[in-house]
Amino acid sequence: MKISYRWLLEFVETDQTPAQIADRLVNAGIEVASLSPLVEGLSGVVVGEIEAIERDLGVTAAGHHIRLCRVAVPGKTFSVICGAPNAAPGLRTAFAPPGATLPGGRAVKAAKIRGTVSEGLLCSEKELGIGDDEDGILALAADAPLGAALIQYLGLDDTILEIEITPNRPDALSIVGIAREVAALTGAPFRFPQITVREGETEAASLAAVEILDPDLCPRYAARVIGGLTVKPSPPWLAQRLRAVGLRPINNLVDVTNYVLWEMGQPLHAFDYDTIAEHRIVVRRARPGERLRTLDGQDRALSSEMLMICDPERAVAVGGVMGGGATEVTQATTTVLLESAYFNPGSVRRTSRALGLHTDAAYRFERGADIEGLREALDRAAQLMADLGGGTVAKGAIDVYPSPRPRPRVTLRRARIERLIGACPPQEEIVRILQTLGFAVDDSGEELQAVVPSFRRDIVQEDDLVEEVIRVWGYDKIPSTLPRGSQLRPVSHPPELQISRAVTRALTDAGLSQAITYAFVDPGRLKAMGWDAPEGLITLQNPISIERSVLRPALAPGLLEVVALNASHQIPDVRAFEIGHTFAPHREEDGDRPAHEELWLGVIMTGQRAPRVWHASRERVDVYDIKGAAELALHAAGAKPVEVAPYEAGQGPRYLEQGRAAALLSGAREVGWFGEVALAVREAFDLPVPVFLAELSLTALLALPRETIRYQPLPRFPAVQRDLALVVPAEVTAGEVEAAIRGMRLPLLRQLTLFDVYEGDQIGAGRRSLAWSLTYQAPDRTLTDREVNDVHAKIVVEIGRRFRAEVRGA
Amino acid sequence: MAGDPRVQDILDRALADIAGARSTSALEQVRVRVLGRSGELTALLRGLGKVPAADRPRLGEEVNRAKERLEAELAARLVALKAEEHRLALQAQRPDLSLPGRAIPPGAVHPIARVQDEIIEIFGRLGFSVAEGPEVETDYYNFAALNFPDDHPARDMQDTFHLSADTLLRTHTSPVQIRTMKARRPPVRYIFPGKTYRRDADTTHSPMFHQVEGLAVDTNISMGDLKGTLEHFAREMFGSRVSIRFRPSFFPFTEPSAEADVSCFGCGGSGCRLCKQSGWLEILGSGMVHPNVLRNVGYDPEEVTGWAFGMGVERVAMLKYRIDDIRLFFENDLRFLGQFAP
Repeated sequence: MKISYRWLLEFVETDQTPAQIADRLVNAGIEVASLSPLVEGLSGVVVGEIEAIERDLGVTAAGHHIRLCRVAVPGKTFSVICGAPNAAPGLRTAFAPPGATLPGGRAVKAAKIRGTVSEGLLCSEKELGIGDDEDGILALAADAPLGAALIQYLGLDDTILEIEITPNRPDALSIVGIAREVAALTGAPFRFPQITVREGETEAASLAAVEILDPDLCPRYAARVIGGLTVKPSPPWLAQRLRAVGLRPINNLVDVTNYVLWEMGQPLHAFDYDTIAEHRIVVRRARPGERLRTLDGQDRALSSEMLMICDPERAVAVGGVMGGGATEVTQATTTVLLESAYFNPGSVRRTSRALGLHTDAAYRFERGADIEGLREALDRAAQLMADLGGGTVAKGAIDVYPSPRPRPRVTLRRARIERLIGACPPQEEIVRILQTLGFAVDDSGEELQAVVPSFRRDIVQEDDLVEEVIRVWGYDKIPSTLPRGSQLRPVSHPPELQISRAVTRALTDAGLSQAITYAFVDPGRLKAMGWDAPEGLITLQNPISIERSVLRPALAPGLLEVVALNASHQIPDVRAFEIGHTFAPHREEDGDRPAHEELWLGVIMTGQRAPRVWHASRERVDVYDIKGAAELALHAAGAKPVEVAPYEAGQGPRYLEQGRAAALLSGAREVGWFGEVALAVREAFDLPVPVFLAELSLTALLALPRETIRYQPLPRFPAVQRDLALVVPAEVTAGEVEAAIRGMRLPLLRQLTLFDVYEGDQIGAGRRSLAWSLTYQAPDRTLTDREVNDVHAKIVVEIGRRFRAEVRGA
Repeated sequence: MAGDPRVQDILDRALADIAGARSTSALEQVRVRVLGRSGELTALLRGLGKVPAADRPRLGEEVNRAKERLEAELAARLVALKAEEHRLALQAQRPDLSLPGRAIPPGAVHPIARVQDEIIEIFGRLGFSVAEGPEVETDYYNFAALNFPDDHPARDMQDTFHLSADTLLRTHTSPVQIRTMKARRPPVRYIFPGKTYRRDADTTHSPMFHQVEGLAVDTNISMGDLKGTLEHFAREMFGSRVSIRFRPSFFPFTEPSAEADVSCFGCGGSGCRLCKQSGWLEILGSGMVHPNVLRNVGYDPEEVTGWAFGMGVERVAMLKYRIDDIRLFFENDLRFLGQFAP
């Protein structure tokens, strides 16, 4: 909201500069976003009068009809070329002689146009930086003092404070409200506007009536009738004030309502009295199917929860939000019915949102207007209308206020301030602060009692008063101390944090980088990844974009995006991981958590295993790299070894390649998977080379028994190594063979390590050679060759038989 | 005294050969020839029985002396030859130490995780535990319990992603404060890290971002303690010379409320680009827990007081690492992440 410094000074007597005032406001909780001169770069422009049109210079290439004007200022005349249609003898206007500057640093010089010298420039609003009008030069009053500096004459030597008011302080949404703050903060006297209404003979009550049918939504409605008016442009001082705070002048009557809104914070509405049926206002909820064409020309469907201002026949305005087109003030209006009311904040907010109508009036009503101050605003505006429109205010106001709201009394204890803040201002200071903020204070008793003014709806309990006192006293006076704990409690970290940290540490130490991707993903890409049905997905009602509209059901989509982004930045090799929540609809086990969230780890790898270096050959990552990363993560997570079960057709995530993916199982429970990303998915993400992915549910791992470390005595007797190289049919997996060997439960076999895998010409197609190193050892003796040979031979025979394996080289 | 000429001859020849040996293997040959099982000196010692008894002790002594002398010379020569051979071997295979080492490239901890961990550590040392909670929340936990009235413009302060009429993506981690307080009795000292969501996107706002909030509730805890705690935090995070400034503000869940600014560590407070010439950096919202919030979780505001604060992790990371575009955090360009390798 824009506050004019000059306007502010009407209500607070202070010699503080705008910058000083801004500083005090900021330190009292009113943000000042900027401080700027009303017009920048304007100098040397004066009030001049066109004495005569000396010559017609024809039409320019741009189509402007230009003329040479004789412009007078006291003691001197200038010949000035002007293309404005409103340039006419006798017009007083803004004259920029050579040497003047205009906003934007434009310097005015004598210039030759079509062979004729123009000694300066006559200026439009736009050229002066004070408005948008560029169709003609600025028309000043006939009595504007010739030669006077335009800046002073128009009151442009002003500073504008752009302030930001938090939603709890509707009282500060006005010049008067800010003036009250400044008074409290600086100790300067606050001057509430002097309001007197010179009323005519006719009783308002005989001219109009108001009836409130829904007092829950409109607890008070006041109105006045002003007659004999002429609609015309506002006088310059008023138009200029409105422009200074960013409002566009319209006509004298509408401008008055805006002026008083800005000055006192009370939204007003002027109806053309003659358009109101029976001159009777009925305040009620909309009827089913009722419609209204609002001031902006839109025909709006109303709902029965919306409060309408009506006449006996129809709705004429949306209460507190916007007036109707049929009853607005027009050039023909002579009598105004002026409304000043209080509307229920929640109701105004719901209505304004439902209609998508965010008006200055709704902005204030939804924050809470001043139910007692609305009469002063009504009187002020009525008198101004009469003054500016040449009319008369009817006698008395119509004021329907069925159950006046009591002003709350709130107790304030010094001990409470001390306890909450750790310090307390002196009693006189507390009383002074509250009084200047408009509270009636009784400090005769043990505890101070404050009566809350009607414009401070935010003050309802003691701690609210504590804040008021301390923010004016100064937050810089709050001491800086450390808490004295009443009792020491052990610091605890949730298991999710611990497991995340352990896994992050292991994977980053292994050279993988941690990514954080958006939790919302693209439904199109999810579809390409196999989520065909929207069930099971959670969709945002109001996403930033469709690409970020579904909560991720897995980490895979985000990680694929990481690969895609890096590929587009010429980084083809990616080894990355992410730890984060996945989202699914609520399940019974989730209790009062509205969605099913699980903590997952996702790992992604693509491109070369290592950067191109002198000491290593280049190899692409493969499925064993991702498996290794998954195993490292499982180990870091403290999980017991899990089983790897290759997916059969139709099993496992659909974004993994058939036959190149496996489940990670703990018992019967699937805790994750790894594999190669399916070609179709890669194509959806525009990734040309193979990508490998592993995902692990850390939530599932946390639910499993943890691996505990138990010391095994070191062997005291020597071990014997034997190699076992088998040629097996290609469909036999290494895991099956190992499981079979382990299944023999040979007590002397201590370790089994696969050290070679070979496929090729030497053994022929359809077969594979697998070689293990077997370690035999006994805890209590040195093994003899013979013992070892016996056991080893048993393995050769058993495995050879079961897998149709031949001992290689035997 | 002249010694036995045979011993002397063996000794002289052997000493000459030891001195002349050019390799450890040549030296070994000399040793075998003279001192080996059938070496010259060994043979002489074996033939001692054929020597007259009177000469035996003298000859035996001479042979032994010669043997000791030769062993010492061999050992000394062996050390010298080994050193020489090692020197030659090194010379023959000189590594190019300017070649890059076989790298063990570290991965990067995401800068947000780094800063979040640092915050957790700093408050951990002050006795703050950590609690986490769901990112999809109900209106009750995200707003109502935190003293945001229905249909109140305060709700516009946090532009919300809605999932249904009653569920939303949490706009702050404050719902975890409510869940934590409902689950335990005071004293409470917790911080709440986590992802949060607001419908806002530009170079300094991300629709998803991270917060760490803090909460302390106790029988006797004041806004002064809040200021002191935040000052301690700021000094640990940004350096020992920074200070904290409180400015009044408004949050529905605190009363009184304060914005906490840290004096600019870029310029020391005199004004620079980092602080946009103001000398201060806005990093935290804070205040005394609103009595309505305490009542909502079943605490008695006459019995206990509390304070809470919240900060954006991205904001802290951007200031700390001088990052000027928040979107970099979620692009995960490895050239960006790589700058945060351990």
